[in-house]
Amino acid sequence: MIGFFNMTRRNLRLFFKDKGLFFSTLITPIILLVLYATFLANIYRDSFASALPDGVVIPDELLNGTVVCQLTSSLLAVCCVTVSFCANLIMIWDKANKSINDFTVSPVKHSTLAVSYFVASAVSTLIITFTALGVSLGYVAIIQGWYLSFTDVLWVILDVLLLTLFGTALSSCINFFLSTNGQASAVGTIISAGYGFLCGAYMPISNFSQELQNVLMFLPGTYGTSLLRNHMMRGVFEEMKAYGFPDDVMTGIRDSIDCNLYFNGNEVPVEMMAGVLIGSVLLFTGIFVLMNILKKKR
Amino acid sequence: MEHIIEIEHLCKSFGDIKAVQDLSFIVKRGELFAFLGVNGAGKSTTISMLCGQLKKDSGNILVCGENVERNFEKISRKIGVVFQNSVLDVPLSVRDNLRSRASLYGIKGKAFEKRLNELAQLLDFSDLLNRPLNKLSGGQKRRIDIARAILHKPEILILDEPTTGLDPQTRNLLWDVINNLRKEKQMTVFLTTHYMEETADADYIVILDSGKIAAKGTPLSLKNEYAGDYITLYGIDESSVKQLGMPYESIRDAFRISVPNTEKATELILSHPYLFKDYEIIKGKMDDVFLAVTGKKLVGGAEK
Repeated sequence: MIGFFNMTRRNLRLFFKDKGLFFSTLITPIILLVLYATFLANIYRDSFASALPDGVVIPDELLNGTVVCQLTSSLLAVCCVTVSFCANLIMIWDKANKSINDFTVSPVKHSTLAVSYFVASAVSTLIITFTALGVSLGYVAIIQGWYLSFTDVLWVILDVLLLTLFGTALSSCINFFLSTNGQASAVGTIISAGYGFLCGAYMPISNFSQELQNVLMFLPGTYGTSLLRNHMMRGVFEEMKAYGFPDDVMTGIRDSIDCNLYFNGNEVPVEMMAGVLIGSVLLFTGIFVLMNILKKKR
Repeated sequence: MEHIIEIEHLCKSFGDIKAVQDLSFIVKRGELFAFLGVNGAGKSTTISMLCGQLKKDSGNILVCGENVERNFEKISRKIGVVFQNSVLDVPLSVRDNLRSRASLYGIKGKAFEKRLNELAQLLDFSDLLNRPLNKLSGGQKRRIDIARAILHKPEILILDEPTTGLDPQTRNLLWDVINNLRKEKQMTVFLTTHYMEETADADYIVILDSGKIAAKGTPLSLKNEYAGDYITLYGIDESSVKQLGMPYESIRDAFRISVPNTEKATELILSHPYLFKDYEIIKGKMDDVFLAVTGKKLVGGAEK
């Protein structure tokens, strides 16, 4: 791995030198949070309250917790992937301005270059997603919907880490084929617009047709969103149970907001969701490194 | 002298376009080898294959006795490349740029600092080390490009039009450095250039036209073969010049007579000694050679 450390440092420096890119990527999750809170919070609240069976009453604080945890988990699930597409640009810049030729005339291995791009992109994306996580947790606390235990917070941190690595691995595989800034911008826009729907962040996939749900269950991002939501809302569900919510109502709520996912009719446990995500990270990272090694000269 | 680069029957096509056709030549250790041709002649394609960036269709490329496609990792430690356009990271400082590039060769820590200081002295950029590349002039950037290319002390320095767009002072500085490297380190220089005068000092020249070798040889042999001599005759009137029966042109205070070669010039002087009181014989220039070989003039890389 000759050159790995310095190349990773170089990639990180290049990313942070472009202050416009860094700050716009950093504030995107915060803008999204403000938009979610402004336009969607009341819709979520009303829709949740109206979906409760007759006779079931929920205190305001618990309702706040339910809505805000659902909102922030959706936001984080989307950001971890879309931000990684915005941050994983160095390898495209290197192709666009031909810096890549400077590396390929040297003895450095293509796999080393690939891993240095991956690590730098993961680190820069993590800085942004952890900032978004901090702001999100702050928002949950301010809105008086905090039901998270210390362990929950640790799990959420781990989920954000996993989802960010997944986003980095996925964006690395897709960006591998791009060679101009225009292409990168087009792909970033498509991902930003579409990923939220595909992963069940903008709308729970339980709202979609059964056929579409079956297809979406093959996408690893779906499990990432559900994983994050399960950990963000565990305290809320515990509080609901303590408050005396019947089990069938609890299951209905969990189903409606994708905390319970069903693959081929079988419920997917949370551990399995994490396993799918870890497997996807390893698979996509492996594919990316392999593509770099096997890349043929023209 | 040992052969450091051997290219045999090299061919490369992009679809229907035959970029390089049956190219064969040898570069000897320590020499300045010049590769001439208009844009699209196949120079950069050849360099890309030589540097392992492009796959050849057929033929053979040996660098330091190693096959480029089979043993490129070994070869990559022996070549340094100055690309046509700078490929360094413009937002980063000179030091950061060179540090990341040095690490590709395993040069880091104190070894890097030592080498950086040597290069900064050699190429006179000690005061630029902490400046970002986008704050440097064209000439300063080119010096950093050369420093990057020779960071790992390569045996062969490949220069792809290194002085295009530089002011004469910077061009001279760069050539002084390159010539010193050749003399002191026995470095072989493989050069493509649009400046004909830069090829005058070359040990060997290959002229490419449409992917094929149009002519090759030393500057002297090429001039002798493809460009005539000029006799500049002073203090004489036009009617006397006409007696010589050779083509001529009038210049400010003299006449310039074109002769096919030096032998013919000597013959002319011996047959008309009374006319040759004040004169000089000048060999044709590389521009004349290029025009005679390709039928094209080379102006800034473009065909005219």
